[in-house]
Amino acid sequence: MKQLMYGNILIGTILLVVGACGQESRVAPSGNVIKIGIIAPFSGTDLDKGGEGLKGVETVMRLWPLLANGDKIEIVKKDDGNEPARAVKALQELTEVDQVAAIVTFSGSGPVLAMAGAADRYKTPILATLATHPDITRRSEYVSQVCFDDIFQGQVAAAYVRDELLLDTVAVFRNTDSIYSSNLATEFERKFVSLGGRISDTVSLSAEAKDYTAVLKPLSAKGPELLYLPLKAEDVIGIIEAAAKLNWMPLMMAGDGILATVMARHREQADLLDGLLTTDFYHYTNKLTPFGEKVRHAYDGRATSFAILGVEGFAILCDAMNRCSEPASRECINDKIRTTSNFTGVMGPITIGSDGKAQRPLVINTIHKKRMVFMVKVY
Amino acid sequence: MADYVASALFVHTKDTAYIADLLNRHPCGAVITPITFERIMSDPHGILKGVAHVVISGPLAAVKGMLELAAATGVGIGLVPTESQKNLRRLYKLPRSIEEAVDLALQTEPRAMDLLLCNGRVVLFRATVGRIPLLDAPVDPGKLSILKAAASAFFNIRLLKFDFTPAGGRQIATAASGCIIFQHYESSIASRLISGESQASDGSVSTVISAPISVIDYVKFLLSLLSPSRDRKRLPSAIGYIKSPTVKIEPESELDVYIDGEPAARTPIYCEAKPGAVRVNVGPSLREESRPAEPARERIETDHLPKGKELLKVRKKKTIPFFSYASEDRFRDLFTALRDDAEINNFFLVLMLLSTMLAAVGLYLDSASVIIGAMLLAPLMAPIVSLAMGILRGYDKMIKKSLGKIAVGITIALLASIIITLLFPDKPITGEMQARLNPTLLDLAVAIISGMAAAYSKSFREIIQSLAGVAIAVALVPPLAVAGTGIGRWDFQFFFQAFLLFSTNLVGIVIAAVLTFRMLGYSPAIRSKRNLGMVLGLLILIVVPLYLSYNRIIEERVFERGWQNERFLINGKYIIIESADLRRLGDKKIVVMEIVVRDQLDREDMEEFKRKIQAYFPDKLIIRAKTTFIP
Repeated sequence: MKQLMYGNILIGTILLVVGACGQESRVAPSGNVIKIGIIAPFSGTDLDKGGEGLKGVETVMRLWPLLANGDKIEIVKKDDGNEPARAVKALQELTEVDQVAAIVTFSGSGPVLAMAGAADRYKTPILATLATHPDITRRSEYVSQVCFDDIFQGQVAAAYVRDELLLDTVAVFRNTDSIYSSNLATEFERKFVSLGGRISDTVSLSAEAKDYTAVLKPLSAKGPELLYLPLKAEDVIGIIEAAAKLNWMPLMMAGDGILATVMARHREQADLLDGLLTTDFYHYTNKLTPFGEKVRHAYDGRATSFAILGVEGFAILCDAMNRCSEPASRECINDKIRTTSNFTGVMGPITIGSDGKAQRPLVINTIHKKRMVFMVKVY
Repeated sequence: MADYVASALFVHTKDTAYIADLLNRHPCGAVITPITFERIMSDPHGILKGVAHVVISGPLAAVKGMLELAAATGVGIGLVPTESQKNLRRLYKLPRSIEEAVDLALQTEPRAMDLLLCNGRVVLFRATVGRIPLLDAPVDPGKLSILKAAASAFFNIRLLKFDFTPAGGRQIATAASGCIIFQHYESSIASRLISGESQASDGSVSTVISAPISVIDYVKFLLSLLSPSRDRKRLPSAIGYIKSPTVKIEPESELDVYIDGEPAARTPIYCEAKPGAVRVNVGPSLREESRPAEPARERIETDHLPKGKELLKVRKKKTIPFFSYASEDRFRDLFTALRDDAEINNFFLVLMLLSTMLAAVGLYLDSASVIIGAMLLAPLMAPIVSLAMGILRGYDKMIKKSLGKIAVGITIALLASIIITLLFPDKPITGEMQARLNPTLLDLAVAIISGMAAAYSKSFREIIQSLAGVAIAVALVPPLAVAGTGIGRWDFQFFFQAFLLFSTNLVGIVIAAVLTFRMLGYSPAIRSKRNLGMVLGLLILIVVPLYLSYNRIIEERVFERGWQNERFLINGKYIIIESADLRRLGDKKIVVMEIVVRDQLDREDMEEFKRKIQAYFPDKLIIRAKTTFIP
């Protein structure tokens, strides 16, 4: 009996010691509340970005319910529908009305570029989790990226196609209505050509031009070995369907986040995408950090790339606030975000430089039998 | 044409009275006088006076009673078995149909048959003492019965000290769970085991002794029953056999004696075969069986049964142990050979020196075939196997000598390889050397399997040539040569790693050989717990570094495999990692990579490459890259 009692005391002591070491250990609440804004598309065609990203934020809030000093974070959500004008309006409301200390956004490059144009006016740190356009950090010193940018993404995609797959000829698609698509396509072309590759065609799509069969027919005659498709999931699916109708099966590669969208919104069509290569942020088979393991356990279901970026963006923000003597200070938060060094993300360290750009690896995945299959990780 | 008696007394019971009609109607016209068994027993000698032939039909007790009377009076006996008396019919080879049995019973040519008496009581079939699982079972018991018996062996069999004294007067002290005594009984496993030995009229008693000294021994016996190709000339090791005109059986504690399945007496028991004591009308096949001119020779096969110190062990145990054990006498040849193997002689010294020299040169040449030659020459396996036996049986002298021989071998090997290393102007670390610097639990597994094979090969002369294969599987001399090379290079990490591999092999072989010898039944009656403790201690000592080493190797393999999916974009240049090989130099980790790039990497690129690796990978890695360019 005595042994049992001593055993229990020992186990209890160990648990207390171990528990006290983690950030999620109990911190006495200070009673202070700090507001953090979330600007994301919670409606429209990109609503899954907002929904999944917010799930990531909530996962971190479950793991770390309070900041290190006991302050509580309150989330204020604004739906921008992934539209620039709405995004800017949301930024204004959050900073002026809600008085948030910082903003995390799950919007795309277009809305974030618009916000970046106004960010200096509000002097509120903005963490862009999904917007990969390289200029968003250049336009304002208050905007930082959690994701890699399109220069890195485009170069890696081109180098992978040219040096890893050893392909010579590629046709590149771009959506002229999308800054993200145009920019990524340009980066890809530039790099691919510099590596000695040949761009057989550059196809510009717009919201109106959706007859993919008509677009693909002349392309197939030229026989490019790969179609580079930095497009929305719906466009990629349409092109794949059209190619199948033409009985043409070139390799295809798409940009970041497409698989997350397919898995969230077009799962029933995932088998169409068999063999599609994508650049992405994450693959669930990658080795996770201890923090990543905690997230995996705390997350409800299998996390998509949007959710993981939501986790990492919000965790980096919390980390920055914890390093501030006044966690609600916008200036301090912004400084600390831009001096994030080797922050332990879900898959590995993330560093955000003074230019606001994140240094993080990129993964190339493919789809095989409706499942994401990891190919390589590029640092 | 058979002759028939003119008259006969028909002894019957109430159930068999009807046979009198059959006898009376028999064409021979013999005068039949029916009489009940009870009536004849009231005045046997008076009633049998002047009677030459008796026909008996009734229960076994009545048959036995009449046989006893026949032995005393000399009357001939005709038997008419009832429908249920199959064993009686089989014993005397009597006809199946009652008419034919009546015909045989009235014939005039009875044969003189032996009569088996135990403690003065007639034994028709068999007498049993103690537990004799399966021995008393029908000849073909079926696999299920054998399995049931096997299961019962774990719980029910207990060996007791038994003294068997055959006619010659030599007392045989052994341990047995029980025995079965019979004269001419062909319906049991016991009779099958000694087939051809028990005859109807050879004046001998057969005693089959059940003495499984272990569960393994008993299972081997059961398996031998299942095997159709069993060697019928050799008794299973769990079975003893005594054939003698008389036998006295005295277990250390009093046991029930069952005669023909009925409790009849208590031990001690004295059984004797009365040669030609009764004249019985037997079936034609038995009648034609030639009666030996001389009484059968006594046969005693009990040498393999427990004796001496083993009896002490028997008394201590409530049930039989799982593994067998053996006395020194039982495997004298093997023990003698192993003692010889523990002795240092000139052959050993010369072969040790030559094999080490060959191994050292082979290591420097990086030649697997030369090293294999050295493995075959190496004489270290023999003393290691002797050491294992010494440990198992607690032979301190054998242990000391084996250890001494191994120590001398190690010294020769180290010295020879140190000298060769010092003589070599160039001292490269070859692949064959590196292969012996990272022992893991897998090496221990190789050593254990090889040790088992070594002990097994050594135990059976027929397969002793397999030891060469064992020597190759678990190389003993090459790791020693590498260890010596380490000293020659003044690199003690090198020495330690290689010597750890040798120690792994040594301990692995010893432990496996100890266990194998134990399973094969070479364990002594009284085991040396001190020595077994010593082996376990060694095992623990060796397992800890091996476990750590094994874990490290697994980590390294995961690490190396992980790199095959890693790519780098360095200053716009795409670097493909084809393979990565993690090497350790002291506490430094060196990753030797094979990388594929399209563009030339300059110093600035390599610096950036290094910076990224150090940023993303927690270990401080030193990178060595072999570059292949994409044209």
